[in-house]
Amino acid sequence: MKGSMLRKATAEAKLLLIGIPLAIWTLLPIYHLVLFALSPKEQAVSGKLWPEHPTLHNFSMVFHQQHHYLGHFWLQMWNSVLIAVAVGAITLFIATSAAFAISRLRVKGGRTIMNLALFTYFIPAAFLAVPMYKTMGNYGLLNSQWALILAMVTIATPYSIWVLKQASDKLPLELDEAARIDGATPLQLFRLVYLPLMLPSLVAVGTYALLLAWNEYLYAFLLLSDDRSTTLGVALGSFLSADDSPWELLMTTGLIYALPPAAIYYAFKRYMVGGLTAGAVKS
Amino acid sequence: MASVSFRNVEKSFGSTKIIHGIGFDIADGEFTVLVGPSGCGKSTLLRMLAGLEEISGGTIAIDDHVVNDIESKDRDIAMVFQSYALYPHMTVADNMGFSLRLRKADPALTKERVAHAARILNLGPYLERFPRELSGGQRQRVAMGRAIVRDPKVFLFDEPLSNLDAKLRVAMRAEIKALHQRLKTTTVYVTHDQVEAMTMADRIVVMQEGRIEQIGTPLELYDHPANLFVAQFIGSPAMNVVNGTLRREGGQAWVDAEGGVRWPAPATARGQDGQPVAYGVRPGDLGVGRGADARSVPAEVIVVEPTGAETELLVRVGASQFVVVLHGRTQAEPGETIQLSVDTGAVHLFDPTSGIALAA
Repeated sequence: MKGSMLRKATAEAKLLLIGIPLAIWTLLPIYHLVLFALSPKEQAVSGKLWPEHPTLHNFSMVFHQQHHYLGHFWLQMWNSVLIAVAVGAITLFIATSAAFAISRLRVKGGRTIMNLALFTYFIPAAFLAVPMYKTMGNYGLLNSQWALILAMVTIATPYSIWVLKQASDKLPLELDEAARIDGATPLQLFRLVYLPLMLPSLVAVGTYALLLAWNEYLYAFLLLSDDRSTTLGVALGSFLSADDSPWELLMTTGLIYALPPAAIYYAFKRYMVGGLTAGAVKS
Repeated sequence: MASVSFRNVEKSFGSTKIIHGIGFDIADGEFTVLVGPSGCGKSTLLRMLAGLEEISGGTIAIDDHVVNDIESKDRDIAMVFQSYALYPHMTVADNMGFSLRLRKADPALTKERVAHAARILNLGPYLERFPRELSGGQRQRVAMGRAIVRDPKVFLFDEPLSNLDAKLRVAMRAEIKALHQRLKTTTVYVTHDQVEAMTMADRIVVMQEGRIEQIGTPLELYDHPANLFVAQFIGSPAMNVVNGTLRREGGQAWVDAEGGVRWPAPATARGQDGQPVAYGVRPGDLGVGRGADARSVPAEVIVVEPTGAETELLVRVGASQFVVVLHGRTQAEPGETIQLSVDTGAVHLFDPTSGIALAA
């Protein structure tokens, strides 16, 4: 009894030993972000642990677009939202259809498609940036948000297909057979049986694609050069183009920019844990 | 209600042939059980009838219409799976009404049919629950309800009771049987459990390695097995079999087995004097005699297993072990030598190489 308690305490101590540095490591940059965002301009780099006169003035500056770097804050925020949501939705549509066809309908050549999808990751996305720029130029899409949307869908889809295919394989095949005997066409099977059961995976994959697009810098910077069409991420980068960068505004905007992903994560957290197929078949 | 016929049905996976030209008919309203050891092809045959597997050769017909190229949904069949295969995101009522919903049936009719099926299966209180909130037996009943709501021509069951515990299995067995007696729908039922086959079937099809070994009513198979495989597969405990040589003399027949054991055989048995045979006798057709006589066989008791109404003895006769089932109790003790009496009318003789029964 005593031995087991000691073992438990030791295990917990070990976890803490890893957990505490990890927490500090993760939270330190966020702490700085918050510190800068709450500091008046002159105190931003004073080295104090907490500002003497914390203020929300920076937020007001950002929201009212009162700096020339922030001239299109709301428009760029909207661009980011639009592009991220579009990438999430289009990626989901393509990846779900592909996973359903390969995993459930057993379409011929499915394995080849899967392998090709994996193959795309042999080349780092950064290497493809210039060819992608050229391609989008050929299609006349430069400076159009479609360019970034299509590029990000291309990058997000292969991984999404893999994840969804693996998740699809775990659904019992008897469900499809039962539905077929019940009279379901492949489309009805997809809509009425497959999609509801895949919901947790769909949310996870959709979130992945959405955040990938939200956080993208390189492609957004290359494909969207106009201040009015680019994303907030790229706009944040342009803060650093001058010597006297307004750090407190950069950090405030950064903090605002980091909030939607956090909110999305918390909203969908419960979907990321499975358990929806419980009771389908006896395993 | 419909008849089903299999004509020279074959199935291959790649170059491996797993069903070798099977043909038989199922009459309208009949409860037919396909039984055999795992891998004998019984489930594959059922899945071919269901339209879930392609038919490599031959034809399958429902009500004289060949269904080889007809999709599952248009075959007017309903299937109960071993794993139940309930839709986990739908309530019991939605699960049962799903096929009608796909057919765009009137919701009022669907509701009525579901309620009717739920009444038959005592599922009324569970209609709004999800499958995960039900016990194994209840899930099994929902799977059956889904089939009943369809009102199909043929019910297909693929080992529906394998996932239930022993007690529930016996209860569900009776429920399925009662259901069939009530609905009188043609039923094809696959199982590896010969007790299930014996208790439920109107007719049993015994299969092994993709071939039919014998077709008949449960008692036909029990009393007149066509070969050694059926003889040993049907009946529990299994038939005792020992190899020996058939002897005839003075209007009497017996089989000389190794160890100098002389097993009495019916005088009417076919076969020549000196012919090698496999001698089979069911455990229940052996008894313990009062004393030694010319027709009794001495045996040494190894284990005594009383079960109350019956007593099972494991005995050694010559070099072989035999199982004896006595109706009632016995004083026999392990190590003791007893005299076995044989009901010669119930003795089965087989050709030891082909396994085929020598007609009595």
